[in-house]
This record gives sequence, structure tokens and C-alpha cells, in this order.
Amino acid sequence: MNVTAKLRETIRELFSADKVDVFLAWEEGSLPMSSTPLFITDGAQADRAIFDPRCGNNLSVYFTKDSRQFRGKRVGIAVKGCDARSLVLNIQENQVLRDMVVIVGVPCNGVIDGKKIRRRTGGKQVTEVMENGDSVTLKGPEFSITLDRSEVLSSSCLRCVHPDATEYDVFLGEARAEVGNENRRKALDEVEALSSAQRWERTRKEYEKCIRCYACRNVCPSCYCSECFVDQNDPQWIGGTCDVTDTVIFHLIRNLHVAGRCVECGACARACPMDIDLLLLNLKTAEEIKKRFGDTAGIRIDGRPVMAEFREDEKQEFIMG
Amino acid sequence: MYRLDKGRFDEFIRLLGREYRTYAPVRTAGRTGFAIVDSAGMIDTDVLVTDMSPKEIFFPPSETLFRYGRNGIKTDEVPERPIAVWGIRSCDVRSLSMLDRVFGSAVQMPEDDRFKDPYWNHRYGSSLLFGSACIDPSPTCFCNWFGGGPFNKDGMDVFTVDAGEYYLLEPVSGKGQEFIGGLACLAPAGESELDLVSAIAAEAASRMPEEEDLKEAGRKLSDIFDEPVWSELSAKCVNCGACTFCCPTCHCFDIQDESQGSEGRRVRIWDSCMFPIFTREASGHNPRALSKERVRQRIMHKYSYSLENYGEFLCTGCGRCVLVCPVNLDIRDVLRRLLHYRAEGKCNG
Repeated sequence: MNVTAKLRETIRELFSADKVDVFLAWEEGSLPMSSTPLFITDGAQADRAIFDPRCGNNLSVYFTKDSRQFRGKRVGIAVKGCDARSLVLNIQENQVLRDMVVIVGVPCNGVIDGKKIRRRTGGKQVTEVMENGDSVTLKGPEFSITLDRSEVLSSSCLRCVHPDATEYDVFLGEARAEVGNENRRKALDEVEALSSAQRWERTRKEYEKCIRCYACRNVCPSCYCSECFVDQNDPQWIGGTCDVTDTVIFHLIRNLHVAGRCVECGACARACPMDIDLLLLNLKTAEEIKKRFGDTAGIRIDGRPVMAEFREDEKQEFIMG
Repeated sequence: MYRLDKGRFDEFIRLLGREYRTYAPVRTAGRTGFAIVDSAGMIDTDVLVTDMSPKEIFFPPSETLFRYGRNGIKTDEVPERPIAVWGIRSCDVRSLSMLDRVFGSAVQMPEDDRFKDPYWNHRYGSSLLFGSACIDPSPTCFCNWFGGGPFNKDGMDVFTVDAGEYYLLEPVSGKGQEFIGGLACLAPAGESELDLVSAIAAEAASRMPEEEDLKEAGRKLSDIFDEPVWSELSAKCVNCGACTFCCPTCHCFDIQDESQGSEGRRVRIWDSCMFPIFTREASGHNPRALSKERVRQRIMHKYSYSLENYGEFLCTGCGRCVLVCPVNLDIRDVLRRLLHYRAEGKCNG
């Protein structure tokens, strides 16, 4: 039985046993390589659910979105490794009650980034995507391109070390623990080899593309302040323009606000309409935190986000005297 | 109709550049948008709908309106050469005509210049638009829902068709005729070339989706303003502004003062009805506090209020919002579901 079939069966079982009021999954999207979030309220709708490499959305975001539409409901949710870590973080931060969620882990081998596909086809519309082992074939009205899977996977997936959920009630397959991934180190080595002037140049070039649509922030399950600092105007903390002096401040502050809380799901980068590389800075921050505090966001259900905790034995070399 | 051999395209673009600041689709690091070009080689002639719309040429994401200080107010110098746009698609040309109703021609009080936006008028009023026929419409195109089409020429100065070895240019406005009329790099098109255009046009038209009946859309939407369907539809929207910023017709903006000491500037920046602060009042109350209200506002503005105010939909079916929405909330599905809502009696999700 494939994962989609298992997922549908699990959803049906959860509803027939009256364990959930709503189940969050994915269904076929309106475009060839897309999926879209699906909120199931009746077991009879289970056959709409799917799981495959198109299912990039981190559904944990719907717990913390400002309307809080699932508050007080028993929610079932399908999660990839990164999505599960978001949920664990939300539980650690008391945004979600563990007793109120049924976590269904799905085995993940990475999700496709629709923008990478569009880039490879020169913007031509793909009408069919076929996966065959390590290759992906994209077909349009007058073309067919076969690419290596790594060329269309989300950049976060290429660096992923936690493909499967570490916290779950049901897992549809065999959950893998942490896996090695040399791409992660490679990406870090590359940026660490740059001089500070080169790093700034790179940062500036990326963030000057920003149009301030906040898609990165709004798809991020870790970004849930009821009033974001960019939405405050009394006082106004940062300028509202698309000048790089303003956009870079937004992205750097957001990076610090999710430090130790970012699970590197890559939802921000996939959502960005301007194709900004939003992941590298988060990767570097996560690595610094791991080095300094030995912690990775959203792994332990009984843990706390590193910035919300104080330990006496922490290095405190920044304190003078 | 005139024929422009592709071998002379560069010459044409350079000629255009003598009189105009010429914008055209350009690809940078895989992304496409309109930028100033001075040679044909810089132009991406393959792209259908650019990632960012040409709205940003005429209505930039952020723009300094004026600077102020102890010595008074002054505006930045504006370039003298007018703007020409090559390779703009019909949906985007029509969206500029719509924006002109808001910024340029002051529909409510046409005689009163105070309501005409000088920043917009300076750019759009003197522009020369070379519209480009859509040979190969994409599955996200739905301009035909709004009276558009791959070979629609509304609002263009010159209509162009890429016919393989050459472009065919047809003057649409007097301004367009005046510019291309005497150019040495153009030759009059013959019978066979015109036949070819008809064949391409028929092929393109056949690729368009089935039209949705939008008659009475405005009234239908008003009638269901309080129905629960809006909550269901908006449930998955995460309220980012990607759709509104990539949209060629969304035009809401905010005006802010940035001052330091005794100097400062007033800037106009894009704003979005998706953002909570868009409607937050000074008291702290927000009449559109929830996603449902903001999604409803966006749909109502495009397909109901705009009809009432301007007699047109505020959407040209370019499909950009369909492509960029991070949760694939497809505006075509949203519209279909809303328009059939009464008929079904209830929502079948």
C-alpha cells in the first residue's frame, strides 16, 4: 500500500473512532505540480487526501495563524519530518496542546519546489510531472525535460537531516532517525569561506529582491506573534519601503526571532515569489545554536526552545568582568 | 501591418531607445520582470507572463513623492524621455488601462486635476505600448473570462505578433502609427504573412479555457456577503500579500513620512488588504480582523465593487496569483464556487 492509501485509511479510522474533529492533510492542487492544504471534517472525505513530493506545505502553520480556527478542536495532522518539528516547537511554546492533536507521520524523501521547475522550463507551463526513481520528467505542450530529482527538490530538503517525524502517534512506514547529509556542511563551508564584505554583498543581493509581501513570515509556523514588529506603527520600528536598508532589517530581525525555533522546513523559500534564498541564514543560525547549546529546534517534546531557557553552565563570555 | 525581420530587431530596439526609455521582459537569475533595455539581446522573448507585472514600471513598489526640509519641498527630477514597453501582454495592457481609471483619469471627477496622480500620469500618459500576442497561452491564463484574449489589442499602441522569422507589427493607436510609420527597418506585410497571423490566432484561441459566466457576478457576490462560504474559502489562506503584489491591477498603497532631524521624505509604498494593519484603526479596533474578512474584501473589490465604481472587473485573468499563492488558493476555483453558491444551495467542498 502506498503512503497516500495508508494516509486515507488512517484518516477514515480516526474519524470512525471519533478521535478527531478535523484532519489536516494535502490534496491535489489546481496546477500540475501542486498540492493544496485540505481540512477534512468527515471521514467520507478521506479519499481526497494525498501524500507525495508535491506536498510541500507545512500544515502546522494553521495552528498558529491569527484566526486560530482550530482552537478547542481535536486535530489530526499529517506531518513530514520538518512539519513535525514545527508542531513540537508549537507544543513546547504552549500554542498547541499535545492531547488535542493526533500526529500522523509520513515518510518523506523531499518535496518539489515548483519555482525550480518553472525556472528550468524557462517559465513554460508544465502540464505533467512524472517521477521515476531519481529522475523527474516534466512535460508541456511542446517539450519534455528529464532532470535529476535533486534539481527540482526544495533546497531545504537537499540539506535535510530529519526527514521523518520524531514525535508522532501513528507513522505510515518506518520512521528514520537523524540521517547524515553532507550538503548541509557544504553549504555552510561555502558561506563561511567568504569574507565579511563578500557575505554582505551576497546578503544585500538576495534581500534587495524583497517586495515585502511577507509570504515567508505568513507560511512560517514559528512566526505567530499576534502583532508582528513590521505591523506596528506606534512606534514604527522599521521603514516600509523596498529599499534594501529596510528589507534587510526585516529579514535579519525575523531571522533572530526564529533563532533556535526555525526547523528549516523551507516553507519560506518555497513561498517567496521573488526567489530569495531565505534558507542559508537560517541554516547558519541553526548551526551556531547547535554548536553553542547542543540543541536542535523541535526535536524533543519535553524540551524548550533554546532562547526560552537559561542554564547556569551556559557559556557567558560576553559578560564582562 | 508591417514586417520586422528578427535580424533587424536590435536596430529597432535601438531606434526606440533614442526616443524612449524602453522596458521589456528580462530574465535575471531565473526570474522575469520588466527592466530597461538598450539592445535586443537583453530581452527575454520567450516569457509569456513575467513573474512581476509591468505595473511596477508605472507604479513602483516604493516611490519618493517629495523631499522636505528647512528649505521647503522639492520633488526628485523625473527623466524626460517617455516610457516605451516592448513585449507586454494583453492582460497587462488592459490592467494598466484599469489602473489609469484610478490614478490617471479621475473617473469620479474628470474635470478636477487635483484627483489625477501626477506621478502616474507622467509615466503612463506619454507611454508607448508594444503589446505582444500570446502564441502559446498557459494553463493559468483566463483572460477570456473578462473579455480579453490572446490576440486582444485593447489599450495597445502597437500590436505585435511573433511569427517565427519575423515580427508583425500593427499600429493600433495614432501614436503607434506615428512611431512605426516611417521606420526603415519595417516593410509592409504581404497576404501570406496576414494568413499566418490568422492561423496563429486561431491556434492560440483554441488553447484558452472554457469561459466562466460572469454576468451578474457583482450582484451575486453582494447577495452572499454574509454567507459562511467565505470562512470555508479563506480557511487555508495565510494572508500574505504575494497575490496582491504580483497582481497587475491591485493598487492599494500607504503613504509614510521618513524623517531624520529637519529633513525627510514622503514615500508611497504598496500596501495589501491581506495585512492586518491595512484596516487597523487608531483605537486599535480592526474591522477586518480575520482572514475571512480580508479574503472577502479582495474578492469583492475585484469582482463587485470595481464593477460598481468603474464598470469593469479589477482582474484581467493573467494568472499570476494562481502561480504565486503559497497554498494554491486558486482564484478561479474561488470565483467558480462563489458564483455557483446560491444555485447549489450549499457548499460542496
